[in-house]
Amino acid sequence: MADIQTYSHDAGWKHTVLRGLLYLVLILFAAYYLFPLIVMISTSLKSLDEIREGSLISLPRVVTFDAWNYAWNEACVGVECTGIKIYFWNSVKMAIPAVLISTFLGAINGYALTKWRFKGANIVFALLLFGCFIPFQVVLLPMSQVLGKLGLASSTPGLVLVHVVYGLCFTTLFFRNYYVSIPDELVKAATIDGAGFFTIFWRIILPISTPIIVVSVIWQFTQIWNDFLFGASFASGANAPMTVALNNIVNTTTGVKQYNVDMAAALLTGLPTLLVYVLAGKYFVRGLTAGSVKG
Amino acid sequence: MASLTLDKVRKAFGPVEVLKEINLAIDDGEFLVLVGPSGCGKSTLLNLIAGLETSTDGEIRIGDRVINDVHPKDRNIAMVFQSYALYPNMTVRKNITFGLEIRGVSNEERDKAVADVAKLLQIEPLLDRKPSQLSGGQRQRVAMGRALVRDPDIFLFDEPLSNLDAKLRVDMRTEIKKLHQRLGSTIVYVTHDQIEAMTLASRIAVMKDGILQQFDTPQNIYERPNNMFVAGFIGSPSMNFINATLSEDNGKLAVTIPRGGDPIVLPLFEAPESYHGYVGKDVVFGIRPEALTHKRTGSDEPGSQYVNFDSKVEVIEPTGADTMTVIEIAGKEIVARVRPDRAPTPGESMTFSADMSQISLFDPDTELRI
Repeated sequence: MADIQTYSHDAGWKHTVLRGLLYLVLILFAAYYLFPLIVMISTSLKSLDEIREGSLISLPRVVTFDAWNYAWNEACVGVECTGIKIYFWNSVKMAIPAVLISTFLGAINGYALTKWRFKGANIVFALLLFGCFIPFQVVLLPMSQVLGKLGLASSTPGLVLVHVVYGLCFTTLFFRNYYVSIPDELVKAATIDGAGFFTIFWRIILPISTPIIVVSVIWQFTQIWNDFLFGASFASGANAPMTVALNNIVNTTTGVKQYNVDMAAALLTGLPTLLVYVLAGKYFVRGLTAGSVKG
Repeated sequence: MASLTLDKVRKAFGPVEVLKEINLAIDDGEFLVLVGPSGCGKSTLLNLIAGLETSTDGEIRIGDRVINDVHPKDRNIAMVFQSYALYPNMTVRKNITFGLEIRGVSNEERDKAVADVAKLLQIEPLLDRKPSQLSGGQRQRVAMGRALVRDPDIFLFDEPLSNLDAKLRVDMRTEIKKLHQRLGSTIVYVTHDQIEAMTLASRIAVMKDGILQQFDTPQNIYERPNNMFVAGFIGSPSMNFINATLSEDNGKLAVTIPRGGDPIVLPLFEAPESYHGYVGKDVVFGIRPEALTHKRTGSDEPGSQYVNFDSKVEVIEPTGADTMTVIEIAGKEIVARVRPDRAPTPGESMTFSADMSQISLFDPDTELRI
């Protein structure tokens, strides 16, 4: 008994030390990642005078949302001083249709590739998979030509098309891997029950796809909302998405550099993706591993 | 309800032939069981009947209608799957009525049909649950309900009991049999379990490597197996095979089994014409464990169907009702089925009676029944 007690006492002491070390490391890492965010938030809440006087890391003496208001309503993007809000709505108008369309098409693709295997299905899938590895820069030139021929150059529908085409590879991959683990007998049973391709898709397959739909929506939304290259290349001026507008605000060189406005604009730009992660993050992790047991 | 005919049905996946010229015909109301080891093509054959796969060659008829090119939904069949394949997003009620809904059956008729089937299968309290809230046996019932509700010409069962535990499997087996007797429907049932095949079928089709080995009533398959595969596959414990020679002594045929010292000579009780060509040649002597037992009364009388011989006992395996007694003859382990009160102790020598009216002889090369 005594031996065991000494032993456990010893282990308990070691345990505490190791725990302490572990938390120290974790706190350091957390601080490392949180610090820039804290600086951004505190700077955005300061007045310009305070920024000039104080240090970078000091907290605001007087909290003011003037910078946020200015960034949203009045900031100059290039020569237009209309604030970032119209570009925010540009991004919304681009991201929501693009996310929905690419997710929906990915679902149909995944369903057809796993449950209605046709000749050459593997080749089609391999090609789609290959699409995931094509860098953005490679498609810029041909894509701009296509958009020009379609009459969609420098427009939001054009950007939607680009993001749908580019996102299709990823969403198809997600859905295909998820549907592989759904038994084929389900489709056979529905076939004998008299349901066709789309009836089975709508009535049986789609209703059990929630986890992977969440994954696809989060992934696509993050990709499309944060994209800068396609936005800068294919939509200029008043049609530009928020990321491009942010760049233009921050890089405007005339006059005094308004750090607080820059920070507020950057936070506004990042807010939607942050929100999506907070709301649906746990489904994301769950869904990513859902199809992985059987592949 | 209807009869089913398969005429020279072949199925090949590329160069691989999985079904070779299958000919089967069952009448209205028959219970056909397709049985065989995994990979024998029995499930493929069922899928061909269901229309989930298309045959490479041959003709499939339900009644007088050729259905080769008919879509599964128009064949008027219903199928129960091994994994049950219940729609996870729908309640039991929805699962059962989905097929009717697709076919445009009115709401009132659907409600009535569900009520009838639920009553028959005793699943009324489950109708508003989701499949995930059901036990294995309940899911099985719902899957059957989904098939029954459509009142099809032919029911197809694809190993429906293999996901259930042993006790439930026996119960459900009885229930399927009762259901068949009550409804008188035509059923095609796939299984790898020979006991299921024997208990359920009105006729059994034994398959191996895509070839139909034998198609007959359960009793005929058991008593007169076409070849050594069928003989070994059906029956548990399986039939004993002993290498022997067929000899003739005073115009009477006998099986001679060589062993160290005296050979065992077992005079045949009946000698069909086909045996005569094998006199003096090697044969495989097949005898089921229950035909090989302790010494029977009357076995010493002349003209008895029982023949006695002595052998040393190696191992005994009591099962309660009978004691399986393992003896060694000519280097092979042979199982005899002995009444528990007559069971020997291992190492002991004892007299066994072979019932020569229940034996089979096979050609050692072709493995076919002689």
